[in-house]
Amino acid sequence: MKRRIRFGGRSRLVWLGSAALLVLLVVLVSLWWQRRGDVALGPQRAVTTINPKVGVHTRLTDEVEEWKIKRSLEMVREMGSPWAVEYFPWAYVEERPGRYNWAHSDMVVEHAARQGITLIARLGYVPDWARPKETTPLYLDEERFADFGRFAAAFVRRYAGKVRYVIIWNEPNLALEWGYAAADPVKYTQMLRTVYPMVKQANPEVQVLGGALAPTNAPEGSEWGMNDLLFLQRMYDAGAAPYFDLLAIHAYGWHSDPDEPPDPQAINFRRAELLRAIMVANGDSSKRAMITEGGWNDHPRWTRAVRPAQRIAWTIRAYEIARDEWEWLDALCIWAFRYPWDAKSYQDYYTFVRTDFEPKPIYEEVQRYTRGESTVERP
Amino acid sequence: MIFSPVGGTRSKARKWYLLLGVALTAALAAFLFWAAGGETLLRRDRTWAQMIATKDFRVGLDPSFPPFEHLNGAGVPEGYDVELAQALAKRWGIEPKIITIGFDSLLDAVRAARVDAVISAMPYDERLTRDVVFSPPYFESGIRLVVPRGSPIAGTEQLAGARLAVEWGSAGDMIARTLQRNEFADMEIVQYDTPQAALDALLSESPSADALLIDQVSLRLAQGSGAPLVAVGPVLETNPYVIVSPRAAHQLAQEIADALAAFAQDGTLDRLEDRWFGEIVEPSP
Repeated sequence: MKRRIRFGGRSRLVWLGSAALLVLLVVLVSLWWQRRGDVALGPQRAVTTINPKVGVHTRLTDEVEEWKIKRSLEMVREMGSPWAVEYFPWAYVEERPGRYNWAHSDMVVEHAARQGITLIARLGYVPDWARPKETTPLYLDEERFADFGRFAAAFVRRYAGKVRYVIIWNEPNLALEWGYAAADPVKYTQMLRTVYPMVKQANPEVQVLGGALAPTNAPEGSEWGMNDLLFLQRMYDAGAAPYFDLLAIHAYGWHSDPDEPPDPQAINFRRAELLRAIMVANGDSSKRAMITEGGWNDHPRWTRAVRPAQRIAWTIRAYEIARDEWEWLDALCIWAFRYPWDAKSYQDYYTFVRTDFEPKPIYEEVQRYTRGESTVERP
Repeated sequence: MIFSPVGGTRSKARKWYLLLGVALTAALAAFLFWAAGGETLLRRDRTWAQMIATKDFRVGLDPSFPPFEHLNGAGVPEGYDVELAQALAKRWGIEPKIITIGFDSLLDAVRAARVDAVISAMPYDERLTRDVVFSPPYFESGIRLVVPRGSPIAGTEQLAGARLAVEWGSAGDMIARTLQRNEFADMEIVQYDTPQAALDALLSESPSADALLIDQVSLRLAQGSGAPLVAVGPVLETNPYVIVSPRAAHQLAQEIADALAAFAQDGTLDRLEDRWFGEIVEPSP
């Protein structure tokens, strides 16, 4: 005779309760499994290089797998680069106000520290809750600057002793990077004025980088952006000086070699010297600078690209200029070390390492340079 | 009411099970229909319909990559891709309309329906296959191992002890370094600042290299200029050029695929290659 199991009353409650507990257990175990650190940090390493100003801009923001984060930073160290700029988007960490998810940032910071690399953290990218609908994640109203400041303060507090440099925003002189609003040095200065004291209060050791301006000769009143030289002067005019400790500079060479003299009408590598001159003219000569983006592109078709051989030679020459001629500069971080995936555009030709971690010749040549090995003679 | 499979609600439960079964079956059928591409049967290809109605084939290209596309002395686009667009339009009985667009905006132009297709030495990208349709390749521009005609080297497996020319920093240089690192430590890499200098090294009377790694476009141009060079072995890093059309333009994509197959068969592609790269002169027997 078949035995019927009655599924009602107390029994049903017991079954439902047990099932719910089981589901909860499975969810908790999978969450733990996903978040546990599978990849060992490994032994403490140090960067060996003949040029302590060599740096790169890594792109680990969208790199999901921890081993790839570790491998990227290992390769940065092995290339002889003691500096790396990395982007920590506010929207990724604080999806809801006051609720932080540091899992990914922790991975990047821990692995960089273990490889002996000094991180320069670029902060920006606005979460949905902190901006009006129909705006891009690069738009931030002045009333929300304090929210950004709270995130920046939480960041530097969490990574005290591990991250000593933060860049406030990126290329605010471009409409694209300013949420398609008009580039506004006064508003950017107000951002620095709000965020700087919050960061310093949370961690007085941290050095705040301002600027990170895109090199451009956009004419006055352009809807796309503002000339970086003009923007920096207007930042000083608006009283920005006390609210950043170092100037972040972007120094792209486009078609010109790194020894081409600076010229306000030209976008070239030594445009950095013009920005430095503005610092000096505004009584800020004791303040130092870092190049947090720059370099050359060797795409076979892009109109701003150069031949691969030129890119290699000019990149190494740029590192030499940073070390031998620019006393006021602490680091030259070239864009970009490696992408998490191929952009399938000219962007791929900025990188040192392919997405599959295969080193490009420029990686090996810079590595040879930082090891002090002589360049191979070419016919 | 809380659903229970026992007691007086059993018949209702059967109805619920039946309804659930019907719903699941319908959902499964819809999914299978969609997965098999069935929705295209119900959808009209507006791009193709508009092309036929207006008798215009709007082709986007960036005229900065000779011999595939460049502006001639009169500022008019010409080249392999322009004539490929003309051949396609002729096959369909319509007129080509060339629209010049910067290389990095070409795919956006397809997505935004500003053009019907892009024919601009555009490499295949599998990550974008949900956004646009890529045709079968019409030209392979990847990296090849190149040797002088008559060389005993017939593939990368014979590079032990050889002198391999590359353009310094190029994709060929990268492959050469990988080969040296992983297979032939005694192979010598000879680096040159330009592709032409690397080609010259192989072709001089006392060559400073035994073989060369270079892209098919540079090789084909050299061959068209009479250089007695041949590619040996397989393509070492593939980079096929394809035609790009809108995701929803299923009939246009099929017409392009059919046309390319026909052009390969009837020699049209070979003629275009000879016209824009120069004919390969075979040695006299």
